[in-house]
Amino acid sequence: MMSRLQLENLTLARGGRTVLEHLEGRFGDGAITALVGTNGAGKSTLISAIMGILRPISGRVACQVPKERRAWLPQQLALDLTFPMSVEELIMTGSWPSHGALKGYCAAHYRRGREIMSRLGISHLAHRQLGELSGGQRQRALIGRTLMQEAELLLLDEPFANVDVETVDVLMDVLRDMARDGATIVVVLHDLEQLSRLADDVLILAGGHGRWATPASLLEHYAGQPPRAPRLPLTFPDTFDAGTA
Amino acid sequence: MLELLDAWLLAPLDYGFMQRALVAGLALSLAAPPLGVFLMLRGMSLIGDAMAHAILPGVALGFLAAGFSLPIMSLGGILSGLLVAMLAGSVSQMTGHREDSAMASFFLISLAAGVMLVSMGGSSVDLTHVLFGSILAVDTTALLLIAAISSLIVVALAVIFRALVVECLDPLFLRGQGSPVSLVHGLFLGLVVLNLTAGFQTLGTLMAVGLMMLPATTARFWSQRLEGLIGIAILVALVASSGGLLLSYHLNLPSGPAIILLAGSAYLLSALVGRHHSLLARLRRRATPLGAPESD
Repeated sequence: MMSRLQLENLTLARGGRTVLEHLEGRFGDGAITALVGTNGAGKSTLISAIMGILRPISGRVACQVPKERRAWLPQQLALDLTFPMSVEELIMTGSWPSHGALKGYCAAHYRRGREIMSRLGISHLAHRQLGELSGGQRQRALIGRTLMQEAELLLLDEPFANVDVETVDVLMDVLRDMARDGATIVVVLHDLEQLSRLADDVLILAGGHGRWATPASLLEHYAGQPPRAPRLPLTFPDTFDAGTA
Repeated sequence: MLELLDAWLLAPLDYGFMQRALVAGLALSLAAPPLGVFLMLRGMSLIGDAMAHAILPGVALGFLAAGFSLPIMSLGGILSGLLVAMLAGSVSQMTGHREDSAMASFFLISLAAGVMLVSMGGSSVDLTHVLFGSILAVDTTALLLIAAISSLIVVALAVIFRALVVECLDPLFLRGQGSPVSLVHGLFLGLVVLNLTAGFQTLGTLMAVGLMMLPATTARFWSQRLEGLIGIAILVALVASSGGLLLSYHLNLPSGPAIILLAGSAYLLSALVGRHHSLLARLRRRATPLGAPESD
């Protein structure tokens, strides 16, 4: 079966050093795939390659999602928080890639913007400046922009880091809905509990290779450990049965 | 009373050179401030200054080649400005050094080269003219050139406006869309060079930046919205250029510095009593109580 996002024998390098080798697999349409691995395992590198910013050494990323429907929420925000822009305006920028450079917004855009803000519980912040938002509020606004963009491929790098519990719940609901509508979602996660709540598939990156797993098999593997083991281990032992994705 | 107003505001406009100077100033005031707002928001406020120096050698070469011919000097200015911007951009990309250090090096080289060229070819009076301009000597050709360049800038800005906003706000978002960030950046710097070239005849290479940056930095004290910033900056520039012109006529002052100093006073005043971030706003700092409705 084909899916809109596939990795074909993908090898990626950063600064002359190979980071990931012979990556294979497909990300299910309408599925949320968790990307796990230690720092430096190549999660961000893989995301850059999927976004088409990093050219592979060999192999390829086969992505059928048009560019204006791809959204990327990096962990280290390049967002300039001193820029004079309100939450509503930020969310509206999500319509630019498909709407063109010159056309103004119509009433339908504003209505959609308001719906998105109320869905994310940030209607009361519509006219607040970006620089005045808390971490959680900012994350909600940025997810709002991807909703406005009607993203069909969504790449999130640790979206729940430094975000309060309530925001995590809201964002997870929204992501689930987006997946139900058919969006392909890839999300970098470190928290096993969050992973079990959100992910349909898991792609583990370790030692320069990728291995597919299911959340159930991953949880089973760590069943004996404290119920909320917050961090995944540094390496994955060979004995670890990844299950079938 | 009316007579006084007439004598101050309208009588100077009986002269052709004052009419042309006013129109040139107004045209520049529409094009320069939006560029200044974006430069300021990108933390590139001093890049305008650097670019102003970068057009000098081209202007000087044009002057040496064709005498005091504005179109030739402008063409030279545009070419050398773009060349310096490109060189600085590629050096910083090649070496990984920050763009501002490359820019600083190149504009210093340009400034020295420009001054050297001017003094080889002409007297020191010419140098003063190129460096500080004279808005009162704008002829019809110059006026047409200034108006054409200003119109081009306004139209081009409108076309790249959204890309420019996204590039300032979140360059990764733009890159993710597959838009070449460097193209937008390059186009923007090109517009800055064009604007400085249009400004050098009236304000001089050194002070053309003033009409770009001072209105923008002034507007920052009055608005927190991009549209507001641009609108207010244009308003400040319009008032400063027409007011400065009248002051220079009545008090027999050099026109360029009069215009820029007027814009400068607007900046200083705004820093004291502006609506946002000013000294006064800081003193009157209050907070709405919890639960009160948002007031904006």
